[in-house]
Amino acid sequence: MDSRQTIRSFILKNFLFTDDASALADDAALIRGGIVDSTGVLELIEFLEERYAIRVAPEEMIPAHFDSIDAIDAFVARKRQA
Amino acid sequence: MRLLATRLLDHARDTPRRVALAHAQAVLDYGALADAASRFAAMLRARGVSAGDRVALVLPNRLEAVVATYGAWLAGAAIVPLNAQARVRDFVPWLRHAGARLVVVESTHPDGMLASAELAADVQRLVLDAPDAGPSTDWRAMLAMDPLPEPCAVAHGALAAILYTSGTTGAPKGVALSHANFASNVDAILAYLELGAGDSTVSVLPFYYAYGASVLHTHLAIGARLVIESNLVFPHLVVGTLARERATGFSGVPSTFALLLDRAAFDGHDLSALRYLTQAGGAMPVALGARLRAALPQASVFVMYGQTEATARLTWLPPEQFEAKAGSVGRAIDGVELQVRDEHGDVLAADAEGEVWARGPGVMTGYWNDAEASARVLHDGWLRTGDEGRLDADGFLYLAGRRSDIIKTGAHRVHPLDVEEAIAEVDGVAEVAVAGVEDATLGQAIKAFVVRAQGAELDADRIRAHCRARLATYKVPRQVDFVEALPKTASGKVRRAHLATPPPLQEAP
Repeated sequence: MDSRQTIRSFILKNFLFTDDASALADDAALIRGGIVDSTGVLELIEFLEERYAIRVAPEEMIPAHFDSIDAIDAFVARKRQA
Repeated sequence: MRLLATRLLDHARDTPRRVALAHAQAVLDYGALADAASRFAAMLRARGVSAGDRVALVLPNRLEAVVATYGAWLAGAAIVPLNAQARVRDFVPWLRHAGARLVVVESTHPDGMLASAELAADVQRLVLDAPDAGPSTDWRAMLAMDPLPEPCAVAHGALAAILYTSGTTGAPKGVALSHANFASNVDAILAYLELGAGDSTVSVLPFYYAYGASVLHTHLAIGARLVIESNLVFPHLVVGTLARERATGFSGVPSTFALLLDRAAFDGHDLSALRYLTQAGGAMPVALGARLRAALPQASVFVMYGQTEATARLTWLPPEQFEAKAGSVGRAIDGVELQVRDEHGDVLAADAEGEVWARGPGVMTGYWNDAEASARVLHDGWLRTGDEGRLDADGFLYLAGRRSDIIKTGAHRVHPLDVEEAIAEVDGVAEVAVAGVEDATLGQAIKAFVVRAQGAELDADRIRAHCRARLATYKVPRQVDFVEALPKTASGKVRRAHLATPPPLQEAP
């Protein structure tokens, strides 16, 4: 499973309680759309840190990095390269 | 006593260019806020909304919510600020129960739009677009009206707001608050926080909750500045705003502070202007309080307690007593009397535990159109809070739990029945009970205990997905356990308390 799929299935399973991939588009707004809230984003970050052995700094917790599956995937890819 | 709308007009006259509110790039000074509110009042008149009528708001924190609130008050109308995270199944009964004449709702809020469409025959609608999309057609039309020439003269005891505290269960319960309730509670808070026009805060608490409303109204009453931050999802951004705005105060519930401390959001920011923090909305764990004071030693921490039924605030703990009276929520605010009484209503001596009763000018006029529910909690001017506790010899209150089953999760209050009703709709559920279980960040998390119908195949995802589609997100159970049976009393009533903390197993003889 590539990282985009992994991230998508985590969000589907943990915030929408489904494994139906069609329930969420890759560019759908996760925060503004009310899918991920303040504790949800912490769960998501903990998952990413563990799964991809990265460390998300406080100043990296911004909407540009987390408001869609696309954004999260791009952010994770940059962190893994760094 | 000067009512809150009058104070706004006074600030607009005396210091029109002082900033009242800010949200992202948008700023409203006192002059512009009062002007917009007067035009909103004129719009209400033009639409046939009269003094005493109710204006509902289905809005997250944004400038227009404040304009609508003060605009309704200038027109002599009452506001009904509904929980914007609620769903159609909540909005429709609330709007009906309040008899709302007009509802202000965002075009991007599907449930608010659906509910207001369903009630279109009775309730007019003013539609806003997303906060970053600029003024909507309706809002521009409102701003184009001439301001109401004179604010409506309202009696101090007239209805100012109805706050619905729980969802769909039975008849909705709306806390009816008068203009005097708001003004007196605001004055008491201003006194102990020693707020002045030079103060400023960054608010993450929803205005539709009593706590968030009190933060808003205290700041506007004294001519101070309030900056809206939409949410706590990105703690670093909230703290960045606190630093950039040189905020002097910040208010939260325990989970607010837990979230900010969790990811070291305070590190690297200059928060030297921050002189105080307030905390209400449930007991803060001792360790969390200590971490907070260590992270922000420059700020005094005010622990407080209150209820929507008392407008917001009942007690405050002077910061210098934080250690000496550790675990206390403090003493009564100005004008409030507290007593602890037994189950017969007899007043108990110091240090004896019982139910907390409160009397004072902030106590609600009653539950809206519900004499029976009002009579259950209001006795000769006293409010039965439903909270258990004791008063020490110095009059400091120590809380010891609640009589009701209300779950406190984050900043939210959830009635288990609201969640149970939704889960019971799922095929294959024979019985369900919902309780709060301890959670490090949220205080309590919602847990559902489900008995499957015979032969039913049912998993936790089905139940959570069903709730997700029908309830506010914060009401969706974090955990779902399948059990053989629910603990019940002899009369068959579910013992919710035993779900969260099962009684210890009897040891074998």
